Amino acid sequence: MAKPLPIDGLDPDRRLRPNARRILATRIGEVWAYGPAVTHPGRVRELHDMRIACKRLRYLLEIFHVAFPTDLEPFIGEVKGLQDVLGDIHDRDVQIPMLHEHLARLSARDALAARGLLRDTRTMPAPVRAEVEFDRFRAQLLQAGTSAERPGIQALLDMRMRERDELYERFLADWRRLGSTGFRRRLERALGL
Amino acid sequence: MARAWDVHGLRQNARFRDAAGRVILTRWREMMSYRDGTLLGEDIEELHAMRVSSRRLRAAMDAFAAAFPERSFKRHLRSVKEITDTLGAARDLDVAVEGLTALVPTLSERQQVGVLALIDEYRRRRVVESEHIAELFDRLERDCYPRRFERWVARHTGIDVVRLDPRPPSEDG
Repeated sequence: MAKPLPIDGLDPDRRLRPNARRILATRIGEVWAYGPAVTHPGRVRELHDMRIACKRLRYLLEIFHVAFPTDLEPFIGEVKGLQDVLGDIHDRDVQIPMLHEHLARLSARDALAARGLLRDTRTMPAPVRAEVEFDRFRAQLLQAGTSAERPGIQALLDMRMRERDELYERFLADWRRLGSTGFRRRLERALGL
Repeated sequence: MARAWDVHGLRQNARFRDAAGRVILTRWREMMSYRDGTLLGEDIEELHAMRVSSRRLRAAMDAFAAAFPERSFKRHLRSVKEITDTLGAARDLDVAVEGLTALVPTLSERQQVGVLALIDEYRRRRVVESEHIAELFDRLERDCYPRRFERWVARHTGIDVVRLDPRPPSEDG
């Protein structure tokens, strides 16, 4: 996670507003610094870092709004909207690899179960072993393994990947709309920057 | 989501240091007001509200860092971060269980098997997270951390939590 940039020139014994302006100017710059990178859906880290930057900015606007005469609520709402959709993308970016790992764990458990069954059949006397047919082996493997769990996890994985694509499209549309409506400029003006 | 508590006495022309004390102590008390409900574990919304408050507190601390000496600030921020992270691990599992449980009826019987097994696994992990939360708050109590935190804020901002008297918003808004 990207660390917030340090802010110089703060004076805790001065009024809230001049200090808040300095802090907010830096944090606004941090959000927009990710602009060029996040126009590609695969930039997982940058999308995550932009979410954190949005979160910081939103909370700061909520904390410092009392120091400004302009109503900051509409700006807070827009930043929150961006943060929320980025948060939903991040949830999928965390869940998708976890589901892949879960499927891999299921495979590993199946392999272990199969090895166990093969070992058991190998120790049987040859005439008995000959009687161990494929169907019986398969039934035992199903019982010992995890194959029954796989379709549900695969369906979940497919669902999360579809959602991720849709969410990214929504984010991109929101981000472009903020750009085309001069959101940053309007926010900075409201803060007297 | 639980509403943020109003910050008493915070005015437009406030001094940065004074505002720091008021906001941070209000968010601190707000967060701690959910501790008993979180430890009881009967309603997952209690833990959620505590986590949201802890994030508000962290944000307030970040915003007002300049009002505190760097070393002690970092130490206290680490403690608050530990609370947020510990609650976060449990909250993630609560959300996952809730989401997957709602999804189950929409799946075919064949697909339900795996998702139900995943829910069981998340529930087992959630029990472990509850133990971590209980351990953390036991330790904080043993170390008298709540009182130390409030005194530290008072020392650097001049705001006393008893006189500030932070309270939850009234029911009628």
